[in-house]
Amino acid sequence: MTISIIQILLLATLAGICGIDLYNGQIHIHRPIITGPLVGLILGDLETGLIAGASLEFVWMALVPLAGAQPPNVVIGGILGTAFTIITQQDPSIAVGLALPFAIIGQIVTISFFSFIAVINPWVDKAIEAHDFKKYDRIMFGWQATYFAINFVIVFIPLYFGADQSINLINSMPQWLIAGLAAVGGIMPAVGFATLCKIMYKKAYLPFFVVGVILAAYLKLPVLAVAIVGCAVAAYDYYMNDKIEKVEESLGDNLYDGI
Amino acid sequence: MMEFKNIVTKKEIRKMLWRSSFLQTGYNYERRQANGWLYCMLPGLLKVYENEPEEMIEVAKNHVTYIGTHPFLVTFVQGVIISMEETRQDRELINSLKISLMSPLGGVGDALIWMTLLPITAGVGASIAMGGSIMGPIIFFVAFNAVHLFLRLFLMDYGYRLGTGAAVTLKKSTKKISRASSIVGMMVVGSLIPTYVKFSLPLTLDVGNKIFNLQTDLFDKIMPGFLPLLFTYFCYYLLTKKKATPMKLIYICIAIGIIGGLLGIYKYVPFTF
Repeated sequence: MTISIIQILLLATLAGICGIDLYNGQIHIHRPIITGPLVGLILGDLETGLIAGASLEFVWMALVPLAGAQPPNVVIGGILGTAFTIITQQDPSIAVGLALPFAIIGQIVTISFFSFIAVINPWVDKAIEAHDFKKYDRIMFGWQATYFAINFVIVFIPLYFGADQSINLINSMPQWLIAGLAAVGGIMPAVGFATLCKIMYKKAYLPFFVVGVILAAYLKLPVLAVAIVGCAVAAYDYYMNDKIEKVEESLGDNLYDGI
Repeated sequence: MMEFKNIVTKKEIRKMLWRSSFLQTGYNYERRQANGWLYCMLPGLLKVYENEPEEMIEVAKNHVTYIGTHPFLVTFVQGVIISMEETRQDRELINSLKISLMSPLGGVGDALIWMTLLPITAGVGASIAMGGSIMGPIIFFVAFNAVHLFLRLFLMDYGYRLGTGAAVTLKKSTKKISRASSIVGMMVVGSLIPTYVKFSLPLTLDVGNKIFNLQTDLFDKIMPGFLPLLFTYFCYYLLTKKKATPMKLIYICIAIGIIGGLLGIYKYVPFTF
């Protein structure tokens, strides 16, 4: 079947809204189980949309963004997967094959966006410095609008130009740039930690910092485990200091008594 | 007995709850959720520091440093921290308590929500939808969000009451508690660096009859997470000793990535199912 430009625009808008819901709001209207029937409604085939969405839901079930790691984009995969199922009148398992390259593009572009958008941080700091929190809110709104646009475009292109032609477009993207920006995502948290250390660092606490590093680097302990070890050490330190204080107090009295 | 006046009212708490849905606005790899965290806290903070713009600027600066946690469970930390801001607790205590609470909560939330609640509700919903019933998505939406919204509402209130209740005790022995909290905080920060900074240089050199890999044959042998630590220290050094701006450091990171990509050190590995 062919689809109208209005339908394409509606699907792209849906992708933009769901892209926002993926990270903010998170009432989970972005899952294929919901986007499936919505795409079905837009394309006039609710039943197929419902079933395609459900089968895509099982595909993406275990793929959630844990601690910043990005799986292939569920919004793009769900919406395009269902749309291709209806348009090509094929089985969802085949349609997901058509949608997957775009889901991966969604993943790569998201990673690159999270790396590159760090350039707003100095503006954020400037707004804070000027006590201009209206401007702060505007920068945050700009972030949302940009991510909306990204999702909008990624869904618009393959529906407008057709899946085959769009894949050529994807292949012409410079791989080295994508690989480089993806690597930035791993390197950049170092800047965040450096700023954090600048605020929190005190020489007296350096040994504890070192223990934290060793527990994670060598023993690969999760952060929760390190926090619990930290609590144990802190409690020990707390009671020892308490004891020393008490001993000093009683000693102090005796000292004066003796003299 | 010390007494505290309530400055933050129901109105600010409601606004903070609404904004808590936008924890990941302004998300980027340098600060993760820090920009969004300040966005969530603004209604309360602006009320507490209403008449002290200078103080407000300092406080806001402290709140936009690296943070990562679970977007649903964050309301608990919001409640605790706003009660501590309201009762003017020690800054060092607030900073270290914040990172010690938020970082582990991230892992707890991943296990509880992304790996349990989501698969169960989506699994049930999808099974029903497979039979062609529109009840599938509806059941998923209602069940998932019932737990989601309950957690958000309940945890904010619980955190705020917990923080307010402990306010007097905290204030009385600020020094000791601050020290304990800093110990946990520094250990957590230490563990976050090798966990979240991913920096490697898999450069291979042909040395006569052997291929020498800079990453696996040198850096990994010195210590795991050697480059992430070294680079974090380098950033810290530039920030504190050379007074470099974070902007400069961000550009350095982007440059390293792009040059690495150009030289073919970094390759894109597509995610496979």
